[in-house]
Amino acid sequence: MSLIEPMTFMNRRNLIRAAALAALPLSAQTQTTAAAPQIVASFSILADMVREIAPAALLVTSLVGPDADAHVFEPTPAHGKRLAQAGLVVVNGLGFEGWIDRLVKVSGYAGPVIVSSRGITPRDAGKSHGHRGADPHAWQDLALARRYVANLRDGMAERWPQHQAEVKQRSAAYLERMAGLDRQVRALLEAIPRAQRRVIASHDAFGYYGAAYGVDFLAPQGWNTHSEPSAAAVARLIRQIKQDGVRALFVENISDPRLIQRIAQEAGARVGGTLYSDALSAAGGPADTYLKLFEHNTRTLVAGLTA
Amino acid sequence: MTAAAHAVRLHDVTVAYRGHPAVHHLSGAFVAGAMTAVVGPNGAGKSSLLGALGGALRGFEGRIEHDSTLRIAYLPQASSLDRSFPVRVFEAVAMGLWARIGHFGALRRVDRTCVERALAAVGLSGFGQRLLGELSAGQAQRVLFARVLVQDAELILLDEPFNAIDARTTADLLSLLHRWKNEARTVIAVLHDLDQVRANFEHTLLLAREPVAWGPTAQVLDAAHLFKARQMAEAWDDAAARCERAA
Amino acid sequence: MSSVLQAVVGPFVEFPFMRRALVATWALSLGSAPIGCLLVLRRMSLVGDAMAHAVLPGAAAGFLLAGLSLPAMSLGGFVAALAVALAAGFVTRNTPQREDASFAAFYLIALALGVLLVSLRGSQMDLMHMLFGSVLAVDDAALLQIAVVASVTLWTLALIYRPLVLESFDPGFLRSVGGRGAAVHIALLVLLVANLVSAFQALGTLMAVGLMMLPATAARFWVAGLPAMAAVAVAIGVASGTLGLLLSYHAELPSGPCIVLVCGAAYVLSVLFGARDGVLLRQLRKPVHLTR
Repeated sequence: MSLIEPMTFMNRRNLIRAAALAALPLSAQTQTTAAAPQIVASFSILADMVREIAPAALLVTSLVGPDADAHVFEPTPAHGKRLAQAGLVVVNGLGFEGWIDRLVKVSGYAGPVIVSSRGITPRDAGKSHGHRGADPHAWQDLALARRYVANLRDGMAERWPQHQAEVKQRSAAYLERMAGLDRQVRALLEAIPRAQRRVIASHDAFGYYGAAYGVDFLAPQGWNTHSEPSAAAVARLIRQIKQDGVRALFVENISDPRLIQRIAQEAGARVGGTLYSDALSAAGGPADTYLKLFEHNTRTLVAGLTA
Repeated sequence: MTAAAHAVRLHDVTVAYRGHPAVHHLSGAFVAGAMTAVVGPNGAGKSSLLGALGGALRGFEGRIEHDSTLRIAYLPQASSLDRSFPVRVFEAVAMGLWARIGHFGALRRVDRTCVERALAAVGLSGFGQRLLGELSAGQAQRVLFARVLVQDAELILLDEPFNAIDARTTADLLSLLHRWKNEARTVIAVLHDLDQVRANFEHTLLLAREPVAWGPTAQVLDAAHLFKARQMAEAWDDAAARCERAA
Repeated sequence: MSSVLQAVVGPFVEFPFMRRALVATWALSLGSAPIGCLLVLRRMSLVGDAMAHAVLPGAAAGFLLAGLSLPAMSLGGFVAALAVALAAGFVTRNTPQREDASFAAFYLIALALGVLLVSLRGSQMDLMHMLFGSVLAVDDAALLQIAVVASVTLWTLALIYRPLVLESFDPGFLRSVGGRGAAVHIALLVLLVANLVSAFQALGTLMAVGLMMLPATAARFWVAGLPAMAAVAVAIGVASGTLGLLLSYHAELPSGPCIVLVCGAAYVLSVLFGARDGVLLRQLRKPVHLTR
C-alpha cells in the first residue's frame, strides 16, 4: 500500500468489499422474527404496569431497567435491536424520555407507540428541574396512574384485538387494587397533621404525589441528577428546614447522598431512608413492583415524619 | 609504569545499547594526574564510555577498576539537561556537594563559601540568584564547571564540555582544566576539536567503538589512525554478525 | 463598609457547611498546588485529567466485589490510579518514551477496562457520580483526609526537594552521584495519586484537577523557582476558593465550576498582566533598554 498513490488502495475491489460490509446491518434488520410478540416499555415502572395488564402470552421488557436513571440512559445497539423486534412500544411521554424518538427512528421500529400519559394535564415543572415545562412523573399520583392503565388497556386492545377481553379483565382487577392502595395511602397520611407533612427529597420527582396527597416536597437540586447546587441554594434550604421545622430528609437511589447527609446534619433533621421515584428497585427489593413502590414510599415517608 | 600511576583501569568493557555495541571490548588504563582526551567519530561510544565511568550508565559488561575511595565528578552532555526547569545558579552549583550533604543534609556556612568561591573561579560572582535557564550557553556551562569544582574530585569526566560555547568561555574553562592537572587530578574529556586536543591534552584515546589508538596524543592522532577511525560506519548495522569474542 | 464585610464573612459565620467547604479548598490548595507546579514543569499538565479516568476500573472492581460500598470503590479507585501512575513511570524510566505518552497510553487502557467492567454488572448506575463528591458536601472524614494528604505532601516534598529538582534538571548527574532518582520519581507519582484521588472523592474531579493545575499554570507568570511558584500557586488557590464560594453563595452559581472559573480568571489575568512574561505587560512597557 503506497502512501503516495491512495487510489491503489481505494481500488474498485476494495470499495465493493467495504460497501458489502456496510450493508450487512441493513440485511439483518429485514429479517423477521417468528418469536412471541414483545412489548417494550421505556422504563421499569411502566414495564411493571404493562405486565400487570398485558395478556400472559406476551413478553414485556423495559429499556431502562430497575435501579437505573432514565435521565442519563444511553441506548446501545442491543436496545435498538429489541425495539426493532417489538410488537408494541410504550413510553411515558411528557418529555421524560429525551432519547426515545431518536432510538425509535434508528431502530426502524414502525409499529404503534402508546404514550401512557396521554390525556393528562401535566403539572408545571418550574425552573428547578432539568425538564423544561411539564413535570413527567405523573405515575406518582394513583389517580393519574388510572389514566395510564386506561391508555395502556386501550392501546393493547387495539393492537391485539384477540386479547381484548383478557386485557380488559386484568385492567379492571389492577384498577381495583390501585383504588384500595389509594385509600390506604390517604389513611396513613391523614394520621399526620398537614402542617407537619413537610419533607425534603433529593430528587424533585414527587410533585404529583405531593399535590395529590397533601405532602410538601422540597428539594435541594433540580430533576436533572447532574446539575450541581450553588452554595446559595444549599444555604437557603438549610434555613428553610430550620425555619419550617422540616423533620425528614429522604435520599433517593440516584442522587448524591452525601449532600443530603450534610444538609440534614446541619439543619438538625433526620435522613429517612430511600424513596423510589423514577425506577423500581431490583427484583427482591422493597419496591420491585409499581404498587409495592407506592406503598414503600408512603410507609417510608410516614416513618420519617412520625418518629 | 606502576599500577598506582593509573587512575582507572578498564578490562574488556563493552557498553551495549539495544544489542548493538556502543563501546566494544575496551581494555586499557587512564594515566593518573594527566589530561586524556577521548575523540572519535559520532556514534563512537565516547559518551557511553564516560557514562559508564561516571556511574550514570549502569549496565555494561567487563570491569572498570579504580580506587574505591576515588572521588569522581561527572559532567553530562549539555543536551541531556533540562534547562527550562527552574534552578538557581547557586542551587545548581551546590548540588556538587552531594557527596557530603546527600539527599537531605543542610548547607553550612563553609559550604556556602565554597560555592561562592567556585562561582568566582568561573567568573560568575554575583550570579547566584539568577535562573540557570536565563543564562547564555557559555554562562550555563561555567555554572556546571563550578559544580565540578565544588565536587573536589580526583577524577573529572567531561562529556563534550565545549560544545557550542564561545571562544572566550572555552579558553577560560580550559585554563581550569590545566589548573586541575596541576592539582594532580585526572581529567578525561570527550572532545571534537582535534587542534584543541593537540594543544592541551597529552594523552588521547581514539575510539571508534573499538579502541583505535590509546596513548600520547602525537602518536595517536596521526593520519593512519584517523583514517582508520573514519572508516567506522556511524549507523548501527542490523545485519551484523554476532560478536564471538570471548571476555 | 461593614455591609461588604458582612457579605464576605457572613456566609462563613452563619453556615458550617460553608466553613467546611472553605477549609477543604484551602487544604486542597496547600497540598496540590506544589504538585501542580511540578507537573507543569515536568510537562505532565494533562495527567490530572487522565487520572480522573484512570480510577474507573478500580472503582468498578470495588463495585463488583462489594456493591455500592464507598470505601471499597474508593480504595479500588486509588489502587487503579496508582497502578496507572507507576506503570507510566516505569515505562518513562526504562524506555525512551516520555511521560505524557506513557500516561496517555495507560490511562486509556484503564478507562476502557473500567467501562468494560461496569457494563458487566448490567446496572447502569453512574459509578463515577457516586465516587466523586461535591465541595458543599464535605464531611468530617473527607476533611480529615484532605488535611492529612496535604500535610504529608508538604512534608514529603520538603524532604525530597533536592533530589527531586536534580532528577528533573540533570538526571545523569544524579545517577552519577548515587542519588535515588527512581525512588524520588515514584514518591512524586504516589503523592500525585494521593492528592488527586482524595480530592476527587471529596470535591469532585473538576475541582480537584482545576485547583491543582490552574493556579500552578498561573504562578509561572509571576515568579520563577519552585518554592516561590508553589507559594504563589497556593495563594491563588486559596483566594480563588474563597472568592468562588462567595460567588456561589451570592450569585447562585454551582460551587465547583465557580471556584475553578475564578482560578481560570486568575490564569487569564496572569497571562496578560503577569510580572514575568505577561503578554500585555510586555507590550505596555516602554521599549527602553539599559546600556549594559
